[in-house]
Amino acid sequence: MNLMQAFKMAFKSIAAKKMRSFLTMLGIIIGVASVVIMVSVVQGQNKRSMEYFEAMGDNKIQVYAYQRFETSGSVSGLLYEYCLGMQDLVLGVTPQIDVWREITIRYGAKSFNTNDWDRWEDRLSVVLGSDQYGVCNNYTLGSGRELSFLDIDKSNQVCVLGAGAKAKLFDFVDPVGETIFINNQPFLVVGWYESIGLDGWNELDNMILLPYTFNRTLNDNQQITQYVVKAKSAAATTLSIAKLKAFLGGFITDDNGYYDVSSNNDWANQMQEQNLMQSLVLGAIAGISLLVGGIGIMNIMLVTVTERTREIGIRKAIGAERKSIIVQFLIEAAVICGIGGAIGITLGCMGALIAGKFLLQGMILWPSMTITVGAFTFSVVLGVVFGLYPAIKASSLQPVEALRAE
Amino acid sequence: MLIDIKDLYKIYNEGQESEVRALDGVSLQIDRGEFVAIVGASGSGKSTMMNVLGCLDVPTRGEYVLNGTSVTSLKDRDLARIRNQEIGFIFQGYNLLQDLNALDNVILPLIYRGTSIFEREELAMAALARVGMDDRAHHRPSQMSGGQQQRVAIARAIATHPPIIMADEPTGALDSKTGRHVLTILRQLYREGTTILLITHDDGIAATAPRVVRLSDGKIISDAHQEVDWL
Ligand SMILES: Nc1ncnc2c1ncn2[C@@H]1O[C@H](COP(=O)(O)OP(=O)(O)OP(=O)(O)O)[C@@H](O)[C@H]1O
Ligand SMILES: [Mg+2]
Repeated sequence: MNLMQAFKMAFKSIAAKKMRSFLTMLGIIIGVASVVIMVSVVQGQNKRSMEYFEAMGDNKIQVYAYQRFETSGSVSGLLYEYCLGMQDLVLGVTPQIDVWREITIRYGAKSFNTNDWDRWEDRLSVVLGSDQYGVCNNYTLGSGRELSFLDIDKSNQVCVLGAGAKAKLFDFVDPVGETIFINNQPFLVVGWYESIGLDGWNELDNMILLPYTFNRTLNDNQQITQYVVKAKSAAATTLSIAKLKAFLGGFITDDNGYYDVSSNNDWANQMQEQNLMQSLVLGAIAGISLLVGGIGIMNIMLVTVTERTREIGIRKAIGAERKSIIVQFLIEAAVICGIGGAIGITLGCMGALIAGKFLLQGMILWPSMTITVGAFTFSVVLGVVFGLYPAIKASSLQPVEALRAE
Repeated sequence: MLIDIKDLYKIYNEGQESEVRALDGVSLQIDRGEFVAIVGASGSGKSTMMNVLGCLDVPTRGEYVLNGTSVTSLKDRDLARIRNQEIGFIFQGYNLLQDLNALDNVILPLIYRGTSIFEREELAMAALARVGMDDRAHHRPSQMSGGQQQRVAIARAIATHPPIIMADEPTGALDSKTGRHVLTILRQLYREGTTILLITHDDGIAATAPRVVRLSDGKIISDAHQEVDWL
């Protein structure tokens, strides 16, 4: 009997035992698909948070400083000066003020309201910052210029647009030199930023930056509590954090306020640790489902050993060689497991895409090759081993012994 | 001499308390073209002997020469060829593959023989036609009566045109009418020159066999030729 016939025999046997073939496949499909989906989701999640940190830029220090009684000079002024004094460590410093008050923005016939939460994805927001806002927050200028120190000092009515705000107000026209109206006050557009390019973070692009001195008029002169400091390197970040803590500790105590200094680098590390945890947990779950699938395969294969042993007895009695029985069973198991594995990978990829769409804001998830191949190999090997088991055991028996199997 | 066994033993659990001598020093010669009925009480070793003769089992000791070759020393490959081409075996319990239809069951030995794909179906259909089962070719065993299943099993046994047919109580599970039908097929094959070995419990059937070998406790106690009317 040649290989071709062994194949035919195997396919005939698979087709004849649809239920058993299907159940075996099911174990593999579930195992492989769940591993593929879970691992993809975890990897997508990790990739997403890393992308976030990359887009945000590293060596970014978040400063939170709150004073209960504002004494001589606001923190902002002092902090600003202090950071300017650390020029060997720091690239820039800016207040980070998100204006929550309702503001209308108008250009020509187009009008937007910052409290338009029904369309939050298209909502424009107003942020207040210094001339170093762009540097601190990893924006790159599309054209025009940043805010200048003078703009801040003189509270010039100028603004810089994020890419989203530019698109919404001006479509594709260069906005530099145009005037928009913010709460009916004319503001000159002096520049615009390129898109941060981070899926699901539209608000980073849908913003309009004004000099922070407008805190007085646009933000009810609320206390400025958040700052972003951009350090030059990872080492500079660590050093700057220590210095800033010492500096702020000098005039903010538990009695009169609160402060906190942390860096994106810390967050990134923390996030990475968290991601690792998540990967391990989900990986373990996926591993368990693979194992359960594997046990299912084993079960079905072992339950049918008697039946298969008798079948082998019959086949031997009518002239099958040991070799051809083993080859037939090998092909049978390999084909069932291969098809099951392929379906599992297909379903897994589809599941990963769906999971990406709904869990990760439409992120396109592609499973990792290693994991996919690993899960596939594991189930196929398991299926083949347990599929071959009766063949190897029974084909060396005398036909009568195999026929007597109970 | 087609079949020649000398001093054949099949001993289960040898040396233990539960030792069973299913075959206890059996010698027997059968010529080409004979029709031999093997009879004896239940447990006398009939099936054991036929399984050894059919190369489905190995004796504990003794010599078996089939068609001039000593079978006891053969490898799996040659034994498979003998089971496939020299001997057609018919079991009391049919032993059809339940998941294949009648035609596919009959095709099976042809596949193992290496018959070309173009001839296989034709040969299998011819074998089914011989036993009057060609109209049930696409039925599965579970959709057939016992007699029909046994006829399919006979078709499978004769599909490769083996010179020897061995049947272990082929009519044991059938009513007398279907039993006679099966017997008629075997006689027909005999007339065409096939050597037939037939185990039976039925004295009536034994009475119509040209040669009757009687076993008792693993030994041959009589071996007689007789005149029969159907030849
Ligand atoms: N696998 C086995 N292990 C132990 N003893 C066995 C085995 N197979 C058969 N025997 C014994 O060998 C003896 C002969 O059995 P065998 O099946 O050849 O009898 P038989 O003549 O065919 O009987 P029946 O007419 O009932 O079919 C019996 O005593 C039986 O119990
Ligand atoms: Mg018997």
